Amino acid sequence: MRGRDFRALTVSCVLALSLPVWGVDQTASLQNRLAQEEIVLAKTPSLYFIVYLKSRVIALRSRGMTLQEWKVQSIHAWGEAPPLGALTLAKKSTLFPPKRTKIKPAANEEDAATFELDALELKDMPARFTLFLSGGIRILVRPKARGFFPRLGNFGHLIAWNLWVPLKNLSFRLRKKPFAAIDIKLEKKEDGQALYWALPDGVKGLVFPL
Amino acid sequence: MNKKKTVRISLLVLVAVLVVVEAVAIIMAWPRQAAGAGPGAENIDQKALAKLEAETASLRKKIGALAPRTVFIVIDSARNTLTLKTRKEVQLQAVVSCGSGSILEEPGGKRTWIFDTPRGEFQVKSKAVDPTWVKPDWAFIEEGKEIPKKREERFEDGVLGDYALGFGDGYFIHGTLYSRLLGRSVTHGCVRVGDKDLKAVYQAASIGTKIYIY
Repeated sequence: MRGRDFRALTVSCVLALSLPVWGVDQTASLQNRLAQEEIVLAKTPSLYFIVYLKSRVIALRSRGMTLQEWKVQSIHAWGEAPPLGALTLAKKSTLFPPKRTKIKPAANEEDAATFELDALELKDMPARFTLFLSGGIRILVRPKARGFFPRLGNFGHLIAWNLWVPLKNLSFRLRKKPFAAIDIKLEKKEDGQALYWALPDGVKGLVFPL
Repeated sequence: MNKKKTVRISLLVLVAVLVVVEAVAIIMAWPRQAAGAGPGAENIDQKALAKLEAETASLRKKIGALAPRTVFIVIDSARNTLTLKTRKEVQLQAVVSCGSGSILEEPGGKRTWIFDTPRGEFQVKSKAVDPTWVKPDWAFIEEGKEIPKKREERFEDGVLGDYALGFGDGYFIHGTLYSRLLGRSVTHGCVRVGDKDLKAVYQAASIGTKIYIY
């Protein structure tokens, strides 16, 4: 099977998850469930996120207001559908995590007067990372590839996604552990970086097929 | 010749096994719907559907009511922007400076500070005109100075700009002497705002005004 066929296969998997095959009652039921789950999160002073799988949108919200929204270019999935309830971001994993700078206390006043700008900024955030959510759910985030090397990287990802991830799912199922993987491709690198910034460990959120 | 044949057959068997395992893995990994959400999971009649939709609308209304009714502040610490808004409109957008994310360790001590701007929902707890900065311990450590024993020795005027809005735990929205650094993440966790924008924010916000930082 060629890569393109695999891609078509996973797209159809996602379509199986999405709304068109469902009746109006299921949509209404899901919207009701989302509202029920969201009101619990919105009553707390914490920020929370919602991943809308069908609408291809990730929203960062507080008190029911959208603070920031990211458009998703494509979504693929393997494994069980995420539970329709609040999930916690256990950790973020990336190849090159951003490192904080350690400030060296000034030795004297002259030293203190010299100013060095060495901050952790948005540009230092990774655009390609994995969000490990509670319940064995992992969301792989990557930007749309632009240029030769990113495309090569995405080709590698495609092979891993279509061959390695199903094997991983099999191994988890044999050990009776929950597993679900969602691959999210964002339009811009900056969107991935902003998403990494906006979602601190421990943040709660919802993943809904709406 | 026989050995070659055996190797070839072994390889073919291995490949076949791998293909079968992969096929099984793909079938097993085929996405499944969440429990209770699939087609046929709930077949509800028109009356029940209308009731469900009404319940959803009511929940949405309740969620909507959780948002502030008056003016509120939204701070994007990644892009270093501050937005003053109401539910309906944006009143002001300003370039600010948020926390640098740097770490300071007390030499030989046990204390460590991480200079992040906190995230979440906060509210304006104090308002001050011509505020005086009460320098915390980390400011002296960073400057290589000894931590004073008297509180009066911690007072510094003029560095916080014309106004300050406190939102708890020593964090403030205040002015800056370094307006050229607005838009960069350079602070110790406070939110620095340019003079003109700060005045507008100070005038619009009152004690209890909600602040959302992400």
